[in-house]
Amino acid sequence: MKALQAVVALCAAAGLAACGPEKTAQPNIPFAPYDKSYASKPDLAQVDHAFPIPTAEIARITPDYLATLDQEQLDQIYARLTAGPIPDGAFDGRILLPKGGSGKLRLAELVGGFAGTALQLKGLVLEEVGETLWRGKVFYRDERVLRNRIEDLSVLKRLELVRGEPQKMNFNGKETWLLFPAKLYCGQSLLDARRESIIIDYFFTDEISGYQEYPDFLAGRRGLRVRDEIRMIRPGLYLGRAYLDKGFALNFTLYNKAMDEQGREAFIKTGQAQEDCWPGTQQRKLLASAG
Amino acid sequence: MKRTYLAALALAVAAIAFWSFRPEADVSGVSGALAQNTPAVQPAQPHAQAPETGVQDQNQPYVEACAREGLSESECVGRLIWFKATGGNERFHTYTFQQRVGVLVDWYRVLRTDQRDDRFWAWGIINDPSCCKPGDANCPAKTPDETFGLDWCPGDDVLLKYVGKQGYIDPACGLKDAALDADDPHSQGGKLDQRHSACDLRFGSSTGALGIRKFPNPRFDPEKWKALNGGTASWAGFDSKLDARTGVESDSRVSKLADGSIEPPFLIGTSCGSCHIAFDPLNPPADPAHPKWENIKGLVGNQYTRMSELLGSGMPKSALEWQMFAHARPGVTDTSAISHDQVNNPGTINALVNVAQRPVFKGESVSKWRKVADCGAEKDEAKCWCEPNRQGKCWQFSTRSDDVTPVFLGGTKVNLPGIHHILKGGEDSTGAHEAIQRVYFNIGSCSEQCWVNHFTDMRQVDPEQRGFGQTPFNVGQCRRDCPNFRAVEDRLQNLLDFFASAESDETDLYVARANARKAKGAAGSYGRAELIADLDKEFGKGAVARGQEVFAENCARCHSSIPEAEGGPFKSRDFAAPSDAHPRKVRADFLGNDQATPVTEVGTFRCRALHSNHMAGHLYMEYGNETLRARPVVADIPEADAMKNGGRGYYRNVSLVNVWATAPFMHNNAIGPEVCGKPANKENDFHRARYAGENNALLASQPDCVRYDPSVEGRFELYKRSMAELLHPTSRGRKITLTNADLLIDMGIRPLEGKVEKPLHGFGQVKIPMGTSAGYLNGLQHKQLVGDLFLAKRDPARLEAAGKKALVPTLQAIADEVLKNPSRFVDVLRQHHDFIAANYQSCDQLVENEGHRFGEDLSEADKKAVTAFLATL
Repeated sequence: MKALQAVVALCAAAGLAACGPEKTAQPNIPFAPYDKSYASKPDLAQVDHAFPIPTAEIARITPDYLATLDQEQLDQIYARLTAGPIPDGAFDGRILLPKGGSGKLRLAELVGGFAGTALQLKGLVLEEVGETLWRGKVFYRDERVLRNRIEDLSVLKRLELVRGEPQKMNFNGKETWLLFPAKLYCGQSLLDARRESIIIDYFFTDEISGYQEYPDFLAGRRGLRVRDEIRMIRPGLYLGRAYLDKGFALNFTLYNKAMDEQGREAFIKTGQAQEDCWPGTQQRKLLASAG
Repeated sequence: MKRTYLAALALAVAAIAFWSFRPEADVSGVSGALAQNTPAVQPAQPHAQAPETGVQDQNQPYVEACAREGLSESECVGRLIWFKATGGNERFHTYTFQQRVGVLVDWYRVLRTDQRDDRFWAWGIINDPSCCKPGDANCPAKTPDETFGLDWCPGDDVLLKYVGKQGYIDPACGLKDAALDADDPHSQGGKLDQRHSACDLRFGSSTGALGIRKFPNPRFDPEKWKALNGGTASWAGFDSKLDARTGVESDSRVSKLADGSIEPPFLIGTSCGSCHIAFDPLNPPADPAHPKWENIKGLVGNQYTRMSELLGSGMPKSALEWQMFAHARPGVTDTSAISHDQVNNPGTINALVNVAQRPVFKGESVSKWRKVADCGAEKDEAKCWCEPNRQGKCWQFSTRSDDVTPVFLGGTKVNLPGIHHILKGGEDSTGAHEAIQRVYFNIGSCSEQCWVNHFTDMRQVDPEQRGFGQTPFNVGQCRRDCPNFRAVEDRLQNLLDFFASAESDETDLYVARANARKAKGAAGSYGRAELIADLDKEFGKGAVARGQEVFAENCARCHSSIPEAEGGPFKSRDFAAPSDAHPRKVRADFLGNDQATPVTEVGTFRCRALHSNHMAGHLYMEYGNETLRARPVVADIPEADAMKNGGRGYYRNVSLVNVWATAPFMHNNAIGPEVCGKPANKENDFHRARYAGENNALLASQPDCVRYDPSVEGRFELYKRSMAELLHPTSRGRKITLTNADLLIDMGIRPLEGKVEKPLHGFGQVKIPMGTSAGYLNGLQHKQLVGDLFLAKRDPARLEAAGKKALVPTLQAIADEVLKNPSRFVDVLRQHHDFIAANYQSCDQLVENEGHRFGEDLSEADKKAVTAFLATL
């Protein structure tokens, strides 16, 4: 349980969604049909081609809505996104553990029975724990670096993965821990190769200015080898996927309310956003609400 | 000197004349009439910009080669594409392979100009005669700083300006396409050029090794690069191991090649020629490290390439990926290593020879996209699709059994009545065009747009999630979404014409010897009669004639393409007879019927025959036909049905044309001496011990390997030794492939105490000792094993229902042991090796040079005779 807590905490993307997007009507997002077996999952290129999402519906997506979806639905949404701009500044987040078709956590489905039910409950607790540990991600776009904003190290201390008192940094006028630095770049998605994602890579975390061996090593190559990838839902809201040593672990969202409010209307009208990464060669159908 | 100069001048004039020449004679019947009644051919999509011209014309040696070989316009365009086009795979070889697949290529290690002279001996790749080492006399680059440590090649004066910048116009944009085929439904009777822009063929410039191309990386940051590497002359900081800086032992297995935030100066791509370009058996180089253009041919197949080691060159020897894949013999590569099917199946690069004589098969059921001029009322894109903004450029998906293979021979269109069987088991079986297009997938083209998403994710063990297993990619989707696909597809006929061109014509030993004698200034002619006389002298009086009888009696049923019902009895057959219908009168008999033989009948290393990528539901499903997949299961293959069904379990009966030049033998080059390069840089010496005793341990004393020798007599010597092994199976020894270093996987949480890692719970590394079967690692069906272990503990009834009742006790024992002590899981699996091999291996054959014992009972004289006879073909 403790190890799992650490995993969730370390690979999760963001802090508590204290100021998430305002509640709106549920988006009406189409999904290509699928069944249980991996072989029944539709080609992501065809999902993108045949089921474009209108920008007006994209504007209605919230972390709460995404939390209702099973993993295949999240995969299908992710495949219809582009990387967008490499973010700058602070984002709040939310952890979304993979769910199966039953609506339960996939791990609980796999185990089944009483043990599965116990895992389901633990998993829901883990989402909360992870979000309590993480207060957010801070992107330093110009430096192509990311750091995680953390205000509570108690769990990691109990696991003896923190030694002494890590140095705090000043962020937005407040002393906080900015830990687990990562490199930012445009790179390969491990789910959908058709266009690049923004990669948050901890493998060489020890090379980044401000690195503190304990606890930062935990996310790096001598730890869990965390690699996140994100794509933009709309300006200010990103959907992410966290991998541990290239094995998929969980989904997360990143949200910046100010950016959302500033960019939303224009995005609904045009569907356009700055693209810093390779957008692929498949023609995307844009269903923007221009005019 | 003067004669050489004059010859060169004449060649150049001929080449220029050829390049300027539009083959009016070839199409006079069509274009003559069209000229009066219709507009001129219209390019539907003219290239937006012409590429900048450099100080040297990149195409010049290619133009000269076309003239030298006598190639037509279409054949020459096909050749240029074959040699240069990456189809956009430079993104695959720079990003996708590293980040998505997880295998690192150390391009600098392979291509560094200061080791140019050692490159062939190390990697088996062929130096581009037009490139030079910076600082050498007449080399436009004076220092390696100018070229980022690689060779300088024609076109680099333009290309290097764009490193770190946008705006490079690819030289492929300047391709002058061949005339349209009026029969092509998309050409509107030859009037409308609707070919996709040639820019998307992507040529770049040479890296210094033929078939390996480079492109300027617009994301390159020179200051970051200099800080990492201490300058621009080398990639030392990028490819060196981290432990020198950190002092941590596990960092001796880590380099910055794994750092996706570092953008190298070049994106490196490969053309089909990277494996198929080879030395001409008729005119080999005096020094293989410094060939001339006239020593190069594009279809022979490189018998020395170590493509597997090249593609894993950035991995430490201790890496799982290195030990699984980087063990193929020279000239052999596992084409399903990247599109991994968990079957250990390296295969040779096929020699493409006398292509027009190669058997085709009528009446096979083929489902594929076919060109049409319109879709009629069909609106379903899955059944018929027209390219937007074009006039009647459509494809229809259908299942038919009347396909033919069109080839232009000497300017005349010939429809071969059927389709080819290509690959070792005939898996590529939907048509020659499609098989060529699939080569581009195999080298990485359109990987991101079309097929990487359909790979198996080796870490995904949940059968309900994407990536648990392969899924077939959709050719129609690929055509729609990948511009490189369209650029290649619209020129497939040029490529096929090149395949059938004079460059693939037989390369007979007597011609090779005649050339060698001429080069030495020997007097007198040397023809087939002289060769036979020499062979009779070497192998015994009348050996060639007797060999023909032995061949007719024992070999021709598989190794003749003309059955007795068609060509009369083998015993009275002249197997060297020319084809009267062929414009160049090449040998009529392909010397192989390309029919499928059960692997248990031929008896050779069977794992390749269990290759699964063309099965229904698998990655290359659309490239295998229904007739192929309906082949009956070969019952006596020892693997379970699930490992051998779906049309697997067969090998194609290969051609013996020019067998004198292509030893060692079999699909894995395992019968015959081991060959090697013996490079000066011992770090790049990839030769490994293979000979083992009955206990499957490597012999303490290994036979010497034979160093690469592409000379005429070098090839012939290797042929003789390989034939001797073929015909004397008991003298072959036992060859197996074992891991040649401890396999180390660093994992878990490993905090540092000083410079030493202290793993939590004492578990920080998996170690598999050197000497494990590489095929065992490759073929372990770990997902099925994990799933069954889980069910054995959680729900054994489901295993029993699946017919695995007998496995349950052992699976439960394994699961209990692993749960009790997870850090011992490798040891536990080793303890149950036989159980796992029997139930969770795709192929458990170990010895690689067994089988094909045909002829072992012949007398010694007859063995010599058949060896002599085959050398004449």
